[in-house]
Amino acid sequence: MVEYFWTAIWPWIIWTPILKAIQSLAFIVPLLILIAYIIYADRKIWAAVQLRRGPNVVGPWGLLQSFADMAKFLFKEPIIPSGSNKILFLLAPLITAFVTIAVWAVIPVGSGWPANEGTSWVVANINVGILYVLAISSLEVYGIIIGGWASNSKYPFLSALRSAGQMISYEVSIGFVIVTVLLCVGSLNLTDIVLAQQTGLANWLGVPTLTILNWFWLPLFPMFIVFVISALAETNRPPFDLPEAESELVAGFMVEYSSSLYMLFMLGEYLAVTFMCAMTTILFLGGWLPPADIAIFNWIPGVVWFMLKLWLVFFMFAMVKAFVPRYRYDQLMRLGWKVFLPLSLFMVVAVASVLHFFDLAP
Amino acid sequence: MPKLIIDGAEMDVEDGLTLLQACEQAGSEIPRFCYHERLSIAGNCRMCLVEVKGMPKLAASCALGVNDLRPGPEGQPPEILTTSPLVQKARSGTLEFLLINHPLDCPICDQGGECDLQDQAVAFGVGTSRYDENKRAIENRNISPLIKTIMTRCISCTRCVRFMTEIAGVEELGQIGRGEGAEITTYLNKGMLSELSGNVVDICPVGALTHRPFAFTARPWEMKKTESIDVMDAQGAHIRIDTRGGKVLRILPRENDAINEEWITDKTRFVCDGLKNQRLDTPYIKKNGKLRPATWAQAFEAISKRMNNIDGNRFAAIAGDLAAVEEVFALKTLSDYLGSPHIDCRTENCSLSPDGGRAGYLFNTTIVGLDKADVILMIGTDPRSEASVMNARIRRGVSTGQTRVGLVGAQVDLSYDHDYLGAGPQTLVDILEGKHEFSEVLKTAKNPMLIVGEGAIARSDGRAVLALAGRLANDFGMICEEDDWNGFNILHTAAGRVGAMDIGFLPGEGGLDTNGILAASETGNMEVVYLLGADEIDVQRLANSFVIYQGSHGDNGAAIADVILPGAAYSEKTATYVNFEGRPQMTMRAVFPPGEAREDWTIIRALSQALGKTLPYDNSMELRKQIYEVAPQLAAIGQITSEPISSLRELSHEAIRIQPTPFVLAIDDFYLTNPVTRASVIMAEMSTLKQEMNAEQAAANSKGMVQTHG
Amino acid sequence: MARVAQGIKSLFLLEFVAAFWLSMKYFFKPKMTVNYPFEKGPLSPRFRGEHVLRRYPNGEERCIACKLCEAVCPAQAIIIEAGPRRNDGTRRTTRYDIDMTKCIYCGLCQEACPVEAIVEGPNFEYATETHEELLYNKERLLEKGDRWEREIAKNIELDAPYR
Repeated sequence: MVEYFWTAIWPWIIWTPILKAIQSLAFIVPLLILIAYIIYADRKIWAAVQLRRGPNVVGPWGLLQSFADMAKFLFKEPIIPSGSNKILFLLAPLITAFVTIAVWAVIPVGSGWPANEGTSWVVANINVGILYVLAISSLEVYGIIIGGWASNSKYPFLSALRSAGQMISYEVSIGFVIVTVLLCVGSLNLTDIVLAQQTGLANWLGVPTLTILNWFWLPLFPMFIVFVISALAETNRPPFDLPEAESELVAGFMVEYSSSLYMLFMLGEYLAVTFMCAMTTILFLGGWLPPADIAIFNWIPGVVWFMLKLWLVFFMFAMVKAFVPRYRYDQLMRLGWKVFLPLSLFMVVAVASVLHFFDLAP
Repeated sequence: MPKLIIDGAEMDVEDGLTLLQACEQAGSEIPRFCYHERLSIAGNCRMCLVEVKGMPKLAASCALGVNDLRPGPEGQPPEILTTSPLVQKARSGTLEFLLINHPLDCPICDQGGECDLQDQAVAFGVGTSRYDENKRAIENRNISPLIKTIMTRCISCTRCVRFMTEIAGVEELGQIGRGEGAEITTYLNKGMLSELSGNVVDICPVGALTHRPFAFTARPWEMKKTESIDVMDAQGAHIRIDTRGGKVLRILPRENDAINEEWITDKTRFVCDGLKNQRLDTPYIKKNGKLRPATWAQAFEAISKRMNNIDGNRFAAIAGDLAAVEEVFALKTLSDYLGSPHIDCRTENCSLSPDGGRAGYLFNTTIVGLDKADVILMIGTDPRSEASVMNARIRRGVSTGQTRVGLVGAQVDLSYDHDYLGAGPQTLVDILEGKHEFSEVLKTAKNPMLIVGEGAIARSDGRAVLALAGRLANDFGMICEEDDWNGFNILHTAAGRVGAMDIGFLPGEGGLDTNGILAASETGNMEVVYLLGADEIDVQRLANSFVIYQGSHGDNGAAIADVILPGAAYSEKTATYVNFEGRPQMTMRAVFPPGEAREDWTIIRALSQALGKTLPYDNSMELRKQIYEVAPQLAAIGQITSEPISSLRELSHEAIRIQPTPFVLAIDDFYLTNPVTRASVIMAEMSTLKQEMNAEQAAANSKGMVQTHG
Repeated sequence: MARVAQGIKSLFLLEFVAAFWLSMKYFFKPKMTVNYPFEKGPLSPRFRGEHVLRRYPNGEERCIACKLCEAVCPAQAIIIEAGPRRNDGTRRTTRYDIDMTKCIYCGLCQEACPVEAIVEGPNFEYATETHEELLYNKERLLEKGDRWEREIAKNIELDAPYR
């Protein structure tokens, strides 16, 4: 028994955390670099549509702009309002940043080896991945609420309330959209969701090479749109960036924040945005799967396909920011509760019915 | 009462007015350069042209009397147009001519912003010139340290010449040459040293004559203007103090027909540099024979230590020439609390007292009353240096032939014709006894008056001289209840004197007067002497006492002080001064006192607290309320309260025991009479210049005499 | 019918696609941005930038301390103290301060100046690290005047026909 402990359990106790730590680090560092370029791309795309150049001074084509910004934020003096609740004030951005990073733990970014064995490049391949995602991303709203309240200022507070309302509203429809996907997959494991998109519509239509048609964006088409739009709203991206509506709330719940605290909020925001892009990729665009069953495509590592799709979705996000005007708050609520919620509810029923009556349920 | 139609409105105007005055009354403003209502009419600028219907050409309205206008053919009143196209054309033409030779140097001209020519060129001019030839240029003349000349700007209005000749009474300025060559000059390149010379700066309509010490320092629009009262002499001229950034930059007269018309003396005008030199800006305490800067608390502590349980009889206070009613009253209250009767404000030891009522020490005729006087007997006074602006008013009476002036005392140049009667009190006795020919003049006069100068009574037989004057006044009908005429006048030289006497800052029961205090100090019987700006006394005699000096300048009094309390000058406090007519007037604070200096009465109030004898007022309102209880006439600011003249009769009953010594003047140097003037560089310069000039004059005279005799 | 059409439009995001297409066209258009520190846009001769005090070609300073600029300045950014110059008694400033942070660059001072002494030059690149550095005194203004004299003279010459 003692020997069993020393030979089997003890190494597990020792090595698992170390392994996981290394794994996490190997995941987080590229993730943060990715965020740096997501921010850069966001600014560049927006600028391009407006006939501007965007950041172009720091590094070649301005590629190091985000790092310069980070350095600037780190060296600036953090100003803590005298009337604020200091502990909560400092805690809020940490919550936001921590939660938005933690949620990435279950995101599979590439196929495992051997492929199709239910394995993938993921920090924690857990079977309740979707639940984890929903649970953790719901916590994001705490960062905002706490930050807005702890600032002890009316604009951040109003904005935090708005933001909470908005995030909760759209989480409902996002939940139903995910349910429709889950109905088609039959698993809460994100890896399984990706793998479930290996077959489907293309095979039925008799063009198995065009695997792009297998992905859920086509069979669940309206849900794909609903998900993307809800993702925009969920992450406070334009045209739903009401929490920080400059014209009325100055800069939203972050008004009182500066320096590295502000940077943590921004980081959290872009992590959430990127996360939503990744979720869209996984749920509707087949994750790391190549778009066509062609030899060349298959040789390309899955992670590249995953990144390409993620960037494509983000490009859409950025373009939306460039050309869609901001919603009014009542319009936002109407869209969430009166359009998306009934629509997604109906689709849950419809998809379930189709799956049931045609006996397609997995 | 001729009837006129001015710009369509029919109106009756007084006889003897000029057309310009009539138009002014009708509300039509006439531009002018040479015309000035207090000067004679020259009619040489041609700016005041108006159209008189029926006249072949435009008429210069300043020189045309309303009585000279003829009615129309049907007897209709003459019609005058002041804004017709013809008049406008004439004005712009006149301006174009004036500007032919006037340089366009407004940006560097000190008159810019308050220049008649500038204003009128904007209002009536054409804006362009058709003159292509070279402009004329005239060399500047160094006529005075006070007045800067840029003669090229002169438009030959001759206001300055007329002022100097008619008002100041000295022919120091004149115009020579003709046409383009005409220029204003001092004839033999002599200086202008009249005590009223500064007024030519004000009346010059362009920038030809400007304020030299003020040159280039500020523009009229950037200065804060405070209307205040002058204290350089006891006349209390109305002045305007122009300040910028806490500095007094210049002093200008205000119009007040009852006091100074619109003139002020050079001392009043140019003394402002004395307000920033030699100022006491922090308390000082003498330690080991040297004055060292201290804080207020330390100064008060030093005083209260010295004055701890002092016998009231061994404390004395003397108020100086520039002390205002407020601080004098506060000091009097403090002395009362300390139980000291030794207070005095008559630093020159004159024999005035309020026993004969207020009328006994006032200029009862008042300045306006001078216009009615036909004979003036001056006793030991030189109004030209003691009250220069008033002297100009007397001069006006003399030059119109209405007034005759007799002078007893030092022989001085009064700037007008006068009969010199004698040097000393004996002459007065002669007049009184009818032995002098001037007695006849006085007897036949309708409104005779006499002016007693401080020089006549600041002597040991002062009371007797005063009594003599009182008897003269009585005997020659100078005091006449029926006519409401009071010709008995004392001419003070110190601005603070009348106010201090009004509130009774005089020795109390068994109290010593100034001389007594000084004597007591010499014998060591006076422990503490409080000098409230008293610099005109022989301070060396106070060496044995602990001297507290409160004042604005480091002058005589400060030199021997043991503790110096820095006070405010007249430009830095809102304070009451009573002029020699008995007219209370308020100065206004134009700037704050420098450094640690404070308004004077507040210093005494604070000191009283340190001494444990707190005065019963906390603000100036409460203080003034108490002053007005003691001296109700001071509440009527700007008004003269008429005094019962019967009290003057008492004066004449005193025994007359005179000394034969001649009267000396109260002021030997017009430019240096008080701490402010002594701190002024300009006044010092003027004083030296004047002395040199007098010496030259004396030398020339003696030479002349030698020649005559030789 | 119209509502159905509208519904289909919304569902398939037709307007969105059209807008996307339009933005993509702009996306590839040449950029308008002037690459500022390396390229600069053209300036009008009337451009009102940093103030300078000019001198005459013989080195004599132009300003005669008339204080018109001080009087006209709507932001009260100019402070002048004047007095006779020691050597020749001419009217000169003893102090000429402009608070560049108060200034609103309206150009009234140069309009008011009778001798073209105070001029708003073409320089607009004078940012500093501290507020104090933007409180210009006479020395600094004259020095700036010497530095920018050529450009300013040219600008005044170009603008002269329109005055």
